Amino acid sequence: MQTRGLPGLLLVLPALLLLVTLTLYPVGYGFWLSLHAKHSLFPTQTFVGLDNYLYLLSDPEFWESLRIGLIYSVSTIVLQLVLGVAAALLLHQSFFGRNIVRGLVLFPYMIPTVVAVILWKWMLNNQFGLINFGLVSLGISDEPINWFGRSYIMISLILVSVWQFFPFVLLAVLARLQSIPTELYDAARVDGAGPVARFLYVTLPQLASVLFITILLRSIWMFTKFDTVWLMTQGGGAERYIRTMPVYAYLRTFNYYEAGMGSAVAIVMFFMLVGAATTYFFLFRGEDQS
Amino acid sequence: MSRRSGWQRLGLGLAVAVLLTFAAFPLLWMGLTALKPSAEIFAWPPRLLPEAPTLSNIGRLFEQTHFVTYFKNSVIVSSAAVLLTLLLAVPGAYGLTRYRFFGREMIAATVLFTYMFAPIMIIIPFYIVMRTLGLANTHMALVLAYCAFSLPFALWMLRTFFQSIPIDLEEAAMTDGASRFRAVIHVVIPMALPGIIATGILTFILAWNDYIFARILISSDNLKTLPVGIADLYNASVVDWGMIMASGLLVIIPVVIVFSYVQKFLVAGWGSGGVKG
Repeated sequence: MQTRGLPGLLLVLPALLLLVTLTLYPVGYGFWLSLHAKHSLFPTQTFVGLDNYLYLLSDPEFWESLRIGLIYSVSTIVLQLVLGVAAALLLHQSFFGRNIVRGLVLFPYMIPTVVAVILWKWMLNNQFGLINFGLVSLGISDEPINWFGRSYIMISLILVSVWQFFPFVLLAVLARLQSIPTELYDAARVDGAGPVARFLYVTLPQLASVLFITILLRSIWMFTKFDTVWLMTQGGGAERYIRTMPVYAYLRTFNYYEAGMGSAVAIVMFFMLVGAATTYFFLFRGEDQS
Repeated sequence: MSRRSGWQRLGLGLAVAVLLTFAAFPLLWMGLTALKPSAEIFAWPPRLLPEAPTLSNIGRLFEQTHFVTYFKNSVIVSSAAVLLTLLLAVPGAYGLTRYRFFGREMIAATVLFTYMFAPIMIIIPFYIVMRTLGLANTHMALVLAYCAFSLPFALWMLRTFFQSIPIDLEEAAMTDGASRFRAVIHVVIPMALPGIIATGILTFILAWNDYIFARILISSDNLKTLPVGIADLYNASVVDWGMIMASGLLVIIPVVIVFSYVQKFLVAGWGSGGVKG
C-alpha cells in the first residue's frame, strides 16, 4: 500500500526547504556573486559582468592552482583506487581476526582531518620523525628529508590524502565483493580458470558499476578537497607548491576579501566538474550497463 | 573454500600485516607519543613504548589551553546537528517511501545531486548568507550547515531502511484500529531503529570532524569546536608535540566508541558514502 497524496509531500517538505535554502540557494547566489566585485565583509557590491572570469584567464596564479590541483587530484585518485581495491580483495579473504582488521583499517577515514594532518606532521617531522629515522637507519637516505620543503611537500600531501581516503574505496568495493554470487567462481573453476583469469573475467566485471560511481565521487571530492590541503599548508614555508584551486578560492575570499573573485574560482571549478562528469558518463556509462 | 598452502598463508599474513601497519600504526604512534614525557618524545633513536608513561601531556592540555571548552562546544554542536537531521530526515524518508505524490522522483534526484556538492563550492555564499542573517559566529550556523550536509545521505539511507520493512506490518496494526501515527511510532520506528541510530552516528561523525565550516563561520575563541581549536593550538607557537598528540587522541575517542556500532553496517554496504570527504 502506497498512499496517494499530500501527506507524503508535507513530510518531506521541511527537509527539502532546508536543502534548498542552505545548499541550492547558496550555489545560485555564488554564481551571482561571481558576476560582482564584492568585499567579503561589506554589504555592497558592483556588477562587473564577466570581468572576474576574464581576469582569471590572465591570472598566472589561477593557472598554477589548476595545474597543482590536477597533479594532486589525479595522483591521489589513482593511488587510492589501486590501494583500496587491493586492500578490499585482501580483506575479502577469510583469516583469523578479519573483522578487527577491517575495523582498524577504516579508521583513517573516520577521524577528523586535523588529526590526520598533525599525526603525519609528527611522523614526517624533520628532526624527530619516525619516517626519517627509518629512512636514515636503513640507509635509504643519507640525511633526514625535509618533507615540508619545496621538493617534498606535494609528496607528503599525497601520502596523507591517500592514507586518509583509500578506506572509502575499500569500503565500497568490499561491500560489493560480498554480494558476488559464489556460483560464478565455481562455474569459472569448472571451466579451468586460474586465479588471475577469475579476477579478470569474474570479479572485475562485477565491480564495474561500483568502481564507476566510486571514481566519480572520489574525483569530485579530491578535486574540491580543501581541509587536508589547507591544513598541510600551515607552516613550513612551501605553501605555494600545494596551492590547489579550492585553496586559491579560499585565499581570494578570506585573505584578499574578494568574495566575487573567490566565487568565480569556485564556479569555474564547478563547471569543470560538470564537464568532466558529463564526459565520463558519456564514455563509460554504456560499458557499465552491458 | 579450498585450503591454502603454507606459502599462501604466509603471503596472506604478510600482506595483512603491511596493510594494517600502514593504516593503523600512525594512530598507534600518536597514542604512544601522547603518553610519553618530553624527554622520551625527543629521544634518538626513538623508542616504541613509553618507559615512564605519563598523563602530563593531557594535564597541560586541560590547564593551559581551552581544550575543555572546545570539547564542550563540539559535543553541543554535533548533538544538535544529529537531533535536527533525524527530526527532518525520519519523517522525510518515511514520506518518500510510503506515499506516492507528484514530483517524488524529482525530489529524490535533487537530494542525490546535492550530495555531490563539496563544502568549498558553497562555503563562500553560505558565509555571506549567515552574515546577513546575523548568524555568523554562532553555533546555530554550524548546526544548520551540518544538517544541510548530512540530510542527503540521511534521507537516502533511511529510505533504504524503510523500504526493507514490510508494509503489511503497518497495515495489520491499522486494521486493528491503530491510527497511522501510532502504527509508525509502535511498529515502523522500532524496526528501523538500527538504521536510525547508524544514520545519527554518521551525522555525528561528520559534524564532529568538520573543519572548514567551523573555520569560516566561527571567530570567537570560546565558540570554537575541536578541529579548529586543535589546528590553532598547533599553529600558535613552538609545537608542543606531546600535548598536540594528546589532543588528537582525545578527539578520536568518541569517534572510536560510536564507530564500533556502525562498522558492521558500513562493511555490509549500508550507506558506505555516509561520511563524505
